[in-house]
Amino acid sequence: MSPRPTRRGFVAGCSAAIAGLAGSRFPRFAFADPETTVNNEILVVIFLRGGLDGLNLVVPISGNDRGYYESARPNIAVPLSGSNGALSLDGQFGLHRAAQPLHQLYQSGKVAVVNATGLNEASRSHFDSMEFIERGTPGNKTTATGWLARHFSCAHNLPPEIVMPSVSVGSTQATSLLGDRDTINLSDPDSFNLQIGPWEWRSAQRIALRHMYTDDTTWLHAAGLQALDAVDLVELNISGAYTPANGAVYPSGSFGDGLQVIAQMVKLDLGLRVSTFDLGGWDTHVSQGDGGGGYFSSLIGTLCEGLAALYTDLDGAGSANYTNRLTVVVQSEFGRRLFENADRGADHGHGNPMIIMSGNAVPGVHGAWPGIGPGQLFDDADLAVTTDFRRVLSEILIRRMGNNHLGYVFPGYTDYQPLGVVAGVDLPPDYSTTGDGIFADDFESGDTSAWG
Amino acid sequence: MNPVDNDRTTSRRELFDHARDHAAAAARHHIQGRAAAMRRPGRPSGGAKAVPAPPSAAIIALNRLGWGPRAGDIASFNALGGTDQQRLTAWVDQQLSPASINDSVCDAKIAAAGYTTLNKSLAQLWLDHVVSNPPWNIRIQPYYEVERATLLRAVWSKRQLLEVLADFWHNHFNIYAIDSWISPVWSHWDRVVIRGNALGNFRTMLGAVASHPAMLYYLDNYTSSSAGPNENWARELFELHGLGTDHYLGVLRQNQVPIGPGGKPIGYVDDDVFESTRCFTGWTFDFDTGLFEYRSDWHDHFQKFVLGTYIPANQPALSDGNVVLDQIATHPGTAHHIATKLARRLVGDNPDPAMIDAAAAVFETEVAAPDQLAQVVRTIVLHPSFLATWGDKIKRPLEIVASAMRAADGRFTFALDDSDTSDLLWRYDQAGQPLFAWRAPNGFPDHKADWQSATPRVMSWRLVNWLIDVRDAFDVYLLNVLDQTPGGVRTANQLADFWIDRIFGRPIPAAEREEVVEFMAQGHNPNFVLPLDTDPDTRDRLRSMVGLIFMSPSFLWR
Repeated sequence: MSPRPTRRGFVAGCSAAIAGLAGSRFPRFAFADPETTVNNEILVVIFLRGGLDGLNLVVPISGNDRGYYESARPNIAVPLSGSNGALSLDGQFGLHRAAQPLHQLYQSGKVAVVNATGLNEASRSHFDSMEFIERGTPGNKTTATGWLARHFSCAHNLPPEIVMPSVSVGSTQATSLLGDRDTINLSDPDSFNLQIGPWEWRSAQRIALRHMYTDDTTWLHAAGLQALDAVDLVELNISGAYTPANGAVYPSGSFGDGLQVIAQMVKLDLGLRVSTFDLGGWDTHVSQGDGGGGYFSSLIGTLCEGLAALYTDLDGAGSANYTNRLTVVVQSEFGRRLFENADRGADHGHGNPMIIMSGNAVPGVHGAWPGIGPGQLFDDADLAVTTDFRRVLSEILIRRMGNNHLGYVFPGYTDYQPLGVVAGVDLPPDYSTTGDGIFADDFESGDTSAWG
Repeated sequence: MNPVDNDRTTSRRELFDHARDHAAAAARHHIQGRAAAMRRPGRPSGGAKAVPAPPSAAIIALNRLGWGPRAGDIASFNALGGTDQQRLTAWVDQQLSPASINDSVCDAKIAAAGYTTLNKSLAQLWLDHVVSNPPWNIRIQPYYEVERATLLRAVWSKRQLLEVLADFWHNHFNIYAIDSWISPVWSHWDRVVIRGNALGNFRTMLGAVASHPAMLYYLDNYTSSSAGPNENWARELFELHGLGTDHYLGVLRQNQVPIGPGGKPIGYVDDDVFESTRCFTGWTFDFDTGLFEYRSDWHDHFQKFVLGTYIPANQPALSDGNVVLDQIATHPGTAHHIATKLARRLVGDNPDPAMIDAAAAVFETEVAAPDQLAQVVRTIVLHPSFLATWGDKIKRPLEIVASAMRAADGRFTFALDDSDTSDLLWRYDQAGQPLFAWRAPNGFPDHKADWQSATPRVMSWRLVNWLIDVRDAFDVYLLNVLDQTPGGVRTANQLADFWIDRIFGRPIPAAEREEVVEFMAQGHNPNFVLPLDTDPDTRDRLRSMVGLIFMSPSFLWR
C-alpha cells in the first residue's frame, strides 16, 4: 500500500479546531492533490422507492427502439408530440413531458443522464435490490454499513472535525449511511428539539440525559449521544421559517419540504458533504397514466420541479453559490418491464436510468444503450443493465469527492472505468478492501451485531 | 389532529415561559459550550461493549412478549413457579390461551371508548362506510377505531402476547390502511384475518389474507385476469409472506432449481411468480358488497407449474390458487422464514440458529395443526437461548409509548373524539411508526439498526416528555406521577428508587441511577425531604424525573 498520511498525521497538518470551525469555508484549491486537499463537494442522493419506470422518464424517441417501445406500451407510452410530447435530449432519447424543469437544466448543461444502469444481480425484489444498492454490496444485504458511511470513514481529504457532515432527511437514517455515527437524521427541523416537558427543568433534564448516554460505551449510548449532538446543533442553528433564494419554488408536499431542509442545511455552511432523501410511490403496477399523463406524470412533475427548485435555490452568486460543488444523484432500485400490463401499469423490471444534476455535470445521455428489440432484453422482458450503478457512483467519488478507495466503499467492485458523467480529476482506483490504519472501523471486521 | 407543535403546559404559562426558557437554553449552552461537531476525533463508536447482561425471566418476558410491565405484573409473574423456566412456561401457556385470561378491565375500557365498528361484519362495514358514501371521516372510521383500540389494548389488555403477535402479523402481511377502499374494512381485517389467526394455522391465515378485499386491493390482485395478469400479489406472496428472499433464485428457469429434501425445489424463481399470478387470476372482490368473488371468466384455465407441482388445466374454482397457498405453506423455506421473523421479533436481531431450526421444525411437523403458530411461538419462547438473550433489540416507538403508559398508568380514553388521544397519536406518528401506515408491503423494519438514528430517538424523547406533562380537560395529569407516589417517598433517593422500581422492576446501572438522583436532588443532599406536597416546581421536577427515566438507555433495551 502506498504511504499516505495517517489520520493523526493529517490532523497534525492543520489545526483541528480551525478546520472544524471553517467547515466548508476552508479554502478550496481546485485541482491541487485531490487526495489530501480538503474536499468540499456536496453529494445529494435521492432514492426513488418502488422502482421508477425509467423507460417512461427517459423515452426512446427515434429509430427501431421507438417502434418496439410503442408496440410494447400501446397505452402508457409517452407520445412524441402533443401536449404530453417527449422533450428531446439528443434526438434518440427524450424526457417525459412533466420533466420539463429537468429538461431546462439539461439544456443549460447541468444534467447528465446515464441509461441502462443497475444491479448485475438478477433480482426483481424491491427490498433486496434496495439493500444491495444502498449497502453498496450487490448480492449481500447484510453488510453492516452503507456505502456513504464507508466513504466517510475512508476519505483522506475530509477534515477530522466537521460540524454537520451529513444529513439524512426522513423518519430514519438512510441505509446508505448505515453505521455512520456523524449523521444528523431529521425530518422536520422545526419540531426537532427538546423544548418540551416542564419548562423549568428542561435544561437540567437535558444535562442529565447527556450524562446518562455518556456513562457507558454500548452502541445504544453512542446512538443516544449522536441524537443529542444532532438536536443541540439543530436547535442552535435553525431558527424561524426557511425562505428559498433566487425565486426557487419547491413543489408542495413532503418531497418539496425535504429538499428545502437539505438546501437549508447546505446554506448553514457547517460543512455538509452528503445528504440523502427519498421519494416513494413508484411501484406502478396499475393505472400509471396513459399517453404521458396521469399518476406517473404528476409524480415526475413533483420530482423534477423539486430538483429544479433545489438547483435554483443553491445557484446564487458568490458565496451563495453552492451548485459549483453540488452533485445530485437520482436512482431507483430497478426499472420496470418494457411491456405494459393489462392494468395499464408495468411490473418489476431491470435496467434503469440514473440522473446526475450538477454544476459539474457533463451533459448528455451516457451509458451503452442495449436496445429493446428482440434478443436485446434482459430475460426477454426488461431493459438490460449495461452500466453497473457502482460505476456511476465511483466516478462521482473519484472526480468530485476525491476519494479513490473503491475497494473499501464497494468491496468486490474491480473494473472501474470513468464514463464521463461529471468533470474532475481522475485518480487510480484503490481496490484494497481493508483499512490502512486511518479507518475508524473496517466494515467486515466491525461489531456487526451493533448494526444488525 | 393538532397541526401546531405547541406544548399545552407551556402555553398556559406563556407569559413566564419565554424569558425563563431563554435563560435555560443559555445556561445549557454555557455549560456545554458550543454544540459539538458531529464529526470529531474521539466520537464514541459504541463498539466497545455489546449489551447489558440478561435480567430475570419476568423482565424479559414482559418486555419482549408484552408491552412492558404494569405495577404488580412482575410479582404475578414470579408467583407462577419456583424457577425462571417454570414461571416462563406457566406464563406463556396462559398467554397462548388468551380466552382463559379474564380481560374485563380492557373490555370495559373498550366499551367506554364507544367504538362502533370493531365487530361489524365485512358486509356491514361495506354498507355503512362505502355504499352509503359517507363523509371521509366516517368512511375511514374503522381504521381510526382500530388504531386507537390497538394502543388501548397494548396498554390495558392482559392478553399481552396476543397483542404483540397481532402487531407482528399486521406487519408480516402489511397493508397501508389509510385508503378509501381499505380503511372501511380495516376492523374486519384486524379482527378476523390477523387476530383470528395469530395463534392459529398459517395455511388458514394465508387463505384469509389471499381472499380479503383489503389485500386484494392493496396488492392489485382484484384486477388480475387471464387477459391482464398482475403479478404484484404473487410476488409478495413468495417474497414477503411465504418463502422469503433467502429462497429466491431470481431469473433461473424452473428446471434449473435444485430439488431439496422432501422433493421440493429449494427455492422459487421469477417463473414461479408468473405461474402463480396465473393461478390467482379471477380472485377479486365485488365492489358492490365488499365480499370476495371468484370470476371464472377472468381465470386462466390452462395448465400451470408452480414450485415443482404440475397443475392440470380446467381445475375447479379456486383450486389453482389454493394449490399455490398449499405449496407455500408446506415449503421448508416458509417454515424457516416465519421462524426467523418470529424469533427476530420475540428474541433478538440475530437469533440462535438452533432456535430457528427448532421453531421451523415445529412449523413443519404441525403444519396441519389448528394451533400451529402458537406451538411455533412456544418453541421459541421456551428455547434456552430465549432467556439468555437481552439487548439485541431496542424498543420501537410503539413499545416506548405503550410501556411508558403501562408503567405510569396512563389514563387516555383512546376514544375517537378525545382530543388528548388525537394529540398523542399526532406526536406518536412523528416518532416514525404510525400504526398501519407503512406504505411498502414489507412492514415496519424490525432490526434495531433501523430505530437507533436521531429522528426516532429525539421524537420519542419528546413524546415521553409530553406524556408526563399533559393534562385532561379537568386539569388532571394523564400520567399522574404525583398521585402514584406514596406519602413516605419524599427524598431524591427515595423518589428515584421508587420510580426506577416501578418502571423497570429491577435495578438499573449505578451511573444511570445516579443521574436520576442528582437530577431530583439538584445539588442538595439526596436524603433531604423534598417539598413535594407544597411546591409546584418540585412536583414538576418529579414529573421531569420520570420523563428522564423514560428517556434513559435502560428503558430502551429489550
